[in-house]
Amino acid sequence: VAQTTARAGGLRRVERLPVRRIILVTLAIVVVAGVAVGSWRTLTLPEGQRFAVGAWRDFVVLGIAQGGVFALIALGYSLVYGILRMINFAHGEVFMFGAYASFFFADAYAKSGFLDRQPVLALTILFLVGIIASSTVAVLLERIAYRPLRNAPRLVPLITAIGASLFLQNAAAGLFGPQTRGYPKPDILRGGFEVLGIRASRVAVLVIVAATLGTIALTLFVYRTKTGKSMRAVAEDKDIAALMGINVDRAIVTTFILGGILAGVAGVLFAITFEFARFDMGFTPGIAAFTAAVLGGIGSISGAVLGGLLLGLLQAVGPPLLLRGIDVPSPFQLKDVVTFTVLVLVLIFRPGGILGSGEAEKV
Amino acid sequence: MDEVRIRGAIKAGAIGGAALIFIGLVGMLTNFEGLNLVGDELNLGLVLILAPVLVAAVSASRPRVVAGELRSPATVQSLVAGAASGAIAGAAVAAAAGIVEILGIERVRPVFVSVSEELLDIVLFGRAWATGSLILIAILSVTGAVAATGSTTPARIRRPLVVALSSVLAMALLHRIVPTILLELGLDPTWLYSRVTLGLTWVGAIVVFVVAAATSIAWSERRRFARGTRQTTGVPDTRKLTRTLLLLAIFVVLLALPQLVGSVISEVLGAAAIFVLLGLGLNIVVGYAGLLDLGYVAFFAVGAYFTALLTGADIIAVLGTAEPAFSLNLSFYAAIPIVVMIAAFVGLLIGAPVLRLRGDYLAIVTLGFGEIARVLVTSEWLKPAVGGAQGLRDVTSAPLFGFTFRRPQNFYYLVLAFCLLAVYVSSRLANSRVGRAWNAMREDEQVADAMGISTVRYKLLAFAIGGAVGSLGGALFVVRLGTVQPGSFEILVSITALAAIILGGIGSVPGVVVGALVLVGLPGLLAPFEEFRLLIYGAVLVAIMILRPQGIVPNVRRSRELKEEELAQDEWARERLGVEPQAAAVAVAGGKLGVEEGKEG
Repeated sequence: VAQTTARAGGLRRVERLPVRRIILVTLAIVVVAGVAVGSWRTLTLPEGQRFAVGAWRDFVVLGIAQGGVFALIALGYSLVYGILRMINFAHGEVFMFGAYASFFFADAYAKSGFLDRQPVLALTILFLVGIIASSTVAVLLERIAYRPLRNAPRLVPLITAIGASLFLQNAAAGLFGPQTRGYPKPDILRGGFEVLGIRASRVAVLVIVAATLGTIALTLFVYRTKTGKSMRAVAEDKDIAALMGINVDRAIVTTFILGGILAGVAGVLFAITFEFARFDMGFTPGIAAFTAAVLGGIGSISGAVLGGLLLGLLQAVGPPLLLRGIDVPSPFQLKDVVTFTVLVLVLIFRPGGILGSGEAEKV
Repeated sequence: MDEVRIRGAIKAGAIGGAALIFIGLVGMLTNFEGLNLVGDELNLGLVLILAPVLVAAVSASRPRVVAGELRSPATVQSLVAGAASGAIAGAAVAAAAGIVEILGIERVRPVFVSVSEELLDIVLFGRAWATGSLILIAILSVTGAVAATGSTTPARIRRPLVVALSSVLAMALLHRIVPTILLELGLDPTWLYSRVTLGLTWVGAIVVFVVAAATSIAWSERRRFARGTRQTTGVPDTRKLTRTLLLLAIFVVLLALPQLVGSVISEVLGAAAIFVLLGLGLNIVVGYAGLLDLGYVAFFAVGAYFTALLTGADIIAVLGTAEPAFSLNLSFYAAIPIVVMIAAFVGLLIGAPVLRLRGDYLAIVTLGFGEIARVLVTSEWLKPAVGGAQGLRDVTSAPLFGFTFRRPQNFYYLVLAFCLLAVYVSSRLANSRVGRAWNAMREDEQVADAMGISTVRYKLLAFAIGGAVGSLGGALFVVRLGTVQPGSFEILVSITALAAIILGGIGSVPGVVVGALVLVGLPGLLAPFEEFRLLIYGAVLVAIMILRPQGIVPNVRRSRELKEEELAQDEWARERLGVEPQAAAVAVAGGKLGVEEGKEG
């Protein structure tokens, strides 16, 4: 019996391999053709309907600024994935709590005039509040929801994370109310700069600067400090790290705090950019940032940043470039479709991500 | 009283206090206060104040491992521990209330929207802060002490008490169903339920308490009796008979239910039954095949839209209605097979590209598909075909021999028929060759593949069948409403279905039914719960995964799998079989399949 089974298995393997490949190749051809046709038709639209060169430049700047926020959130996903091999589905909510907490201060400062009198000091406080709130939520999340499940089968922590995400989102709705709150924008961040003919709003510049600083600081922390070293050791192998005298719990909590800090910064930046805070503001950026992390190669710092920027660009440039030409009305409505299509394609064709080490078997 | 226990009591009290403050700030206390349970003295808000302390006190006084052995605390110790944790929780809440009093409600409200005079009145029992806090701390300490005795009372006394109290709670919560049924049966419900407070009367509560306690005692006595005589008498025979009778009784109740409970509750039942259907479908994908699909709403949408389009629904336009780009005028029953086939095909389409992905990646990609479905149906782009953000109207009411199913009571029968079909299909699948292949694949894909199970084929099959069942849910959903509203196709549909199967027990058909009825039906029956539905779903998902991953009505094989960690299994393999885990898994799986193969061939 065993022999026949083995032979049947072998035969089937030979039979079915091409099917999978045919599906993939067809998919690849469809995608490439779609992209080619879409962009060709958009770029060759008649003069009046075509986007001006300046418009494309604006899209790119917007995309980079968006990408900066995605990169900051994506770093949080990547860090946690690197160390626990789990997708922290609730990271978007960590981000949301940072934004929301800082909103209350921003609102009070805007009413008292402090926000425009001492903008630098006020912004610093806002960022600190966001950071503290986000990292507190991240630590609680780890302590309450994830720690008891550290050795459970892989789907268990994922389902827990989905539950935690739902819980946190609706807790925010219950605590702070379901309405959209207008986030005040300090005068100092209104208007824009013009460098070498490229216009960029001040907020975009702030986002890019913050994302760069955040990434540098994180890299230094992870590669230059002793705690960072212990985190890397735990990411490599929890049990052996513990045997080497590393406090695994502490390393994991540190990871969540770092993710929380970056998410807090991203939350404040996002809220200032789009001038609102709401209980469900974390969902879409969260998914987008996760896509970014996968796109760049989950588990790697530079991958998360690269993925974030690429996805930001894709979201800003993609819809008008690909869809305008084929007569899709209001292409930006389909922004999220671009995100998810990219995610699906990356996972199918290069599961390790752009900078990933081809961890195909772990996927 | 040792140091460990003191620390435990303080910790439990602090956590209980934090939970209580959270419950208050999130608005549950004020919302649930209006729901009277017994008389007008005992309402759900009050129960909610006591609940965190109950849990905290039980955990503070539970047996602990001291110096390597499990020790139950002495009665006095546990009383003190429980009371202390209650007092600490009370003090925490009192402190929070004090902060609110000092800052003033109007200054806290812009941040925490639920803080109000009413909330303070509830936690401080309508007194000023000082007296109110004292009362609160006293009540919570007493509750803590009482709860703590739970771990020292013998199970014989504890179990009937717990059963009786939860029965009273359950009966009180079902205050919209039970009286209607009694009235419909020609009985007088006024002695049981008060018409003024809507909850149980005190007399009714006492009767329920006594009856439940007596039943519980009788049950455990009978069990002890049965255990003693099982070897001598033919228990299996009677068991089979009981089972048939039970199924028959359930069937009769199911048929009679909508006539007894009236149209409002039939409506809720219909909505819950749709989720039973969705849960059963998702259970095939997640529970049987082990593929975590978060984009299940895509199939729901496919079922809804194609049913509407095939049966001749119209687009809602600025001026009245418009004909969709594609539409047929089939009858509902002719359309259903086509819809099911389309959904199965969509299942293949979604399944094919993600065949190589596992676990969490699969979850995120399917989530992506679900979101794509949602964005597409609301987009301007597909508006001529599916109606964009406005959706479709005039969906068929599925007339059958002049009998339409739009009315809640009638719709119930339609959805019941489909649910029974889905239950039948799922339970037959579970024990079929396909079901065993899914099991093997879920437990170890590589081993299953090595044993000659075509994982590609079975994964696609799971997506197709699961999708087909899900599309039935969508089809019935639009028949119920008569319109297709694109706002209904959110990720939350997927998550609700997932929560239902997790709560009930992954892979267990009765579990899924129970889970869906509890999660969707209960909030529908209890208006104050509706607002916190999603919050509760989230908490349920987390709590179940941490405390009871196998669910309320577990599937035996699945629970074994979830309980034991992979490491423990490897350890077992090394010890018993004397081989390395990988080889052992192959050996075990090979043995199992070999037997089955032999049986059938």
